[in-house]
Amino acid sequence: MTRLLLVTALAVAMPAFAAPPVALAPTDVEALVAPPAKGVRIVALWALDCAYCEENLSALATWQRQHAGVDLVFVATDSIGQRDVLSARLRAARLDTVPSRAYADATPDRINYLIDASWGGETPRTLVIHANGTRKAFSGALNAERIASLMD
Amino acid sequence: MRHLSFLASLLLAGVTAVHADDMHGMAMGHEAPLGFDAAIDPTGHLWVVDTVGEHVRARRSDDMGRTFALSTIVNPTGEPIYAEGENRPKIALGPKGELYVTWSQPRKLPWTGFVRFSRSLDGGAHFDSPTTVHTDRAEITHRFDSLAVDGKGNVVVAWIDKRDVETAKKAGKPYFGAATYYSWSTDRGAHFAPERKIVDESCECCRIALARAPDGSIDAFFRAIYGDNIRDHAFASLPVGGTSPKVERATFTQWHIEGCPHHGPSLSIDAKGTRHAVWFSAADGKATIWYGQLAPGAPPAHLATVAAAGASHADLLADGTHVWIAYHQMSPEGLNLMLRESTDGGVTFSEPRQIAHTANESGWPKLVLWDHRAFVAWNPEGQFRLVPTEALK
Repeated sequence: MTRLLLVTALAVAMPAFAAPPVALAPTDVEALVAPPAKGVRIVALWALDCAYCEENLSALATWQRQHAGVDLVFVATDSIGQRDVLSARLRAARLDTVPSRAYADATPDRINYLIDASWGGETPRTLVIHANGTRKAFSGALNAERIASLMD
Repeated sequence: MRHLSFLASLLLAGVTAVHADDMHGMAMGHEAPLGFDAAIDPTGHLWVVDTVGEHVRARRSDDMGRTFALSTIVNPTGEPIYAEGENRPKIALGPKGELYVTWSQPRKLPWTGFVRFSRSLDGGAHFDSPTTVHTDRAEITHRFDSLAVDGKGNVVVAWIDKRDVETAKKAGKPYFGAATYYSWSTDRGAHFAPERKIVDESCECCRIALARAPDGSIDAFFRAIYGDNIRDHAFASLPVGGTSPKVERATFTQWHIEGCPHHGPSLSIDAKGTRHAVWFSAADGKATIWYGQLAPGAPPAHLATVAAAGASHADLLADGTHVWIAYHQMSPEGLNLMLRESTDGGVTFSEPRQIAHTANESGWPKLVLWDHRAFVAWNPEGQFRLVPTEALK
């Protein structure tokens, strides 16, 4: 209980726009890709080495701002050990207000597979999960038109 | 306090289900990258390069990877090193016992890097101070190095380079991807020729496959861009001196992706000049590893699916009519090291066979040859081993 109070106090005290990426272990994947209670969850997978990813994250963040019921999470396939670099990259792109995760495994392949067995690891990769359990995935940078097509 | 900070950041990220187990993998990966390369010299010594922090390490095994008799730090002065995935240290062996090593060094800005080179002329006891291979020192991408030695002992290094992207930007012109460049040394790595472009508008995040042809020249097989982000592969022989490379399209999967595949190909050329290759494509949303015999300018011959969903990072080796393909196959139980084998020059292949398994992770498989026998260099959980391809036959 004491710990919970401390955590709550700390969370309130810290600015909400500076959240660093949170570790995503293989055991966390099931919850990540579970259908949301309502609306739609977008899992936006990106990588430091991907020159197209920030553009994709930005398009998705814009979409979320313009549409209700969209739960957006950014997931870096890079190691959580690079959290400072990941945070800096998101901050520089003004994308650090979106909840963010980063892989906690020695190489990305296992978590890639657990998230989407049909995915080869190419980035950006966007996974759209509806409350009714249906899923759509797309590899490559999205624009508003492509995002809309994933929402059907 | 560390625990509290972690929980607080979880709350801030909007994550509600928090368990102590979430901590277990946090420090993995970056502290112990798994990228490595391996080669066997003519006397049967195995050479392995990997990284220890900011250092590239070269090791020699005299018992096929069971133990290491020699371990030498290539760069005593540490520097950042790309050490995972498609970007990892490389080793190649010269005809007089030379050891050549390259790696890519991250710079401060995103996607930037310099291609670094070092050599040992005393059997790995010492390495020369690292040098930067390219003359261009702009703080841009010069990364994803590949390394080979041709039939005359010349050292060839190829890499992905974004100088032409910058030029196009300044001119307000569109430019897809990055360029691919190469350089060479005719004096055992003492000096490198000014770099030469192989091609414009190629993929910016996939390793380049280099292989020696029967005439001793080095051929390159790499992911290029055709039209609007069709990411197929190109083939080019890389002249040492002389004329510019002739680049021809060599795969035709029509995979369109405005993104980074993170899957480079592999190439091995047999004594008759048949260019055996494997490559990855996810055209039509189907992740597939393909095998084919390259016929630059035309579709490959003997096209075959090697593996599909969950398979990645194939390597290939040809010796006479024997062709081996090793790759990773992910499963819910962990990572399987798989093998497919042809004894008729790549016309037909055996069914996929699991030759090793780890519940954890490994650097990507690398096939090496010794006395007409193929082995797969692998390092599950960072523990290096050579897996015989005859295993579990």
